Amino acid sequence: MKYRIKEDSTFHLAIVVLLSLIVAACSHTVQVEGNYPAPVGHQLPLSVGIYLSEDFKNYTYQEDSEDREEWKINTGRAQENLFETVLGSMFINTVSLSEYPKDVPANVELVIVPEVRELQFTMPRETKVNIFEVWIKYDMNAYDSQGNQVASWVITAYGKTPTAFLQSQEQALTQAINIALRDAGATLYTGFEKVPELQAFLSGKVRSASLQEFKVKSPQAE
Amino acid sequence: MFKPFIILTLAFLSGCTTVVIDEYRRSDGELAAGDSVVILGRRHSSDYETEPNLIACVGRELHNPEMGVNIIPEKEFVDIMYPWFEPRTAPMHVRSLDRLMENKEVRERMESYGVKYIVWIDGSTETTASAGSISCTISTGGAGCFGFGTWDKESDYEAAVWDFRDRELSGKLSADAKGTSYMPAIVIPIPLIARVQNNACKGMAVQLQQFLIPAARTSS
Repeated sequence: MKYRIKEDSTFHLAIVVLLSLIVAACSHTVQVEGNYPAPVGHQLPLSVGIYLSEDFKNYTYQEDSEDREEWKINTGRAQENLFETVLGSMFINTVSLSEYPKDVPANVELVIVPEVRELQFTMPRETKVNIFEVWIKYDMNAYDSQGNQVASWVITAYGKTPTAFLQSQEQALTQAINIALRDAGATLYTGFEKVPELQAFLSGKVRSASLQEFKVKSPQAE
Repeated sequence: MFKPFIILTLAFLSGCTTVVIDEYRRSDGELAAGDSVVILGRRHSSDYETEPNLIACVGRELHNPEMGVNIIPEKEFVDIMYPWFEPRTAPMHVRSLDRLMENKEVRERMESYGVKYIVWIDGSTETTASAGSISCTISTGGAGCFGFGTWDKESDYEAAVWDFRDRELSGKLSADAKGTSYMPAIVIPIPLIARVQNNACKGMAVQLQQFLIPAARTSS
């Protein structure tokens, strides 16, 4: 009896190992790492707090549909680098916030909170085009120092990469995601001042700064 | 003794490729000391993508500081100019450069790198047809393949040369290359590959060199 139990457990172990190998063969894991350049251009006259939540910093997209193989795509670290670099050089002063809405420094005029709304990708065999494509959609939220929402807008990013000889699906997808993240950074940078609410917030800020300057100069003139 | 044999074998082992280059020139190139040239791939189309390795190949072939051609690698340039030369934001026409140059920081960065020409390459290499079949078997007695495969590849590229300082189109050139590769398999598959993209790259690089340094054409 003892012998039988041992034989069964070895058999079960072999099946488990075999099944895990089969499952592993059909599942793909992608860890996107990336460093992004700082944008070239003028800085906006704002002191901004950046809050990247733990969900955002560890974001993992999981594809588990019947039509596709299993995919786990972690873009957390890469998008954390991107948003910190791009937002960090967009304004004259930026502060990374570890918590929000608590502990916001007094000098912060605007707090920006990005969230991932969705991530989609297509493989060459699905589209019959020799290109890997990725779409990422971000919900962007901006709050004033009192915690009131100033603006809410959406950033859509797209990245593609052609198939290449001796390049794995994971490598190609990583490359496409990195291109999509660069696109997200470009859209964030070039589109920020085009959001009407932010435009109004910025001009209000410029107006109050010039009024303050005028008030300071006036008594001196007298 | 073996040298002619090796050359003959290499010539036999590569498929045939034909390359046709067309050129339209508005002005001759004038590169001064310290000037740089940037070669960039167009990536805005949804159904193809100008291959980064083709851009790198043209840059490698053209880079010749002794002759006064200093190429800034594509990746380095798009990084130093981020986010103004990304697929979504890159200027599509020469006149769009004026608007971009209104940005003081961008203008200063471009000037500090001595950019004189921006060469935009648009196009791709595709497999247009394939035929034949090869089957391979493995048995206790050994392994082997038998059959014949063939495929055609076509490259279609267009390069537009922008004069960054004068803000004008200096010229355009196109490279069309076609080639057929073969793979006969009698026990071992023997690939006879037509290097279509590579030949298109070399053809374009030679033409661009003549474009950028007209003296190179007269001396050759």
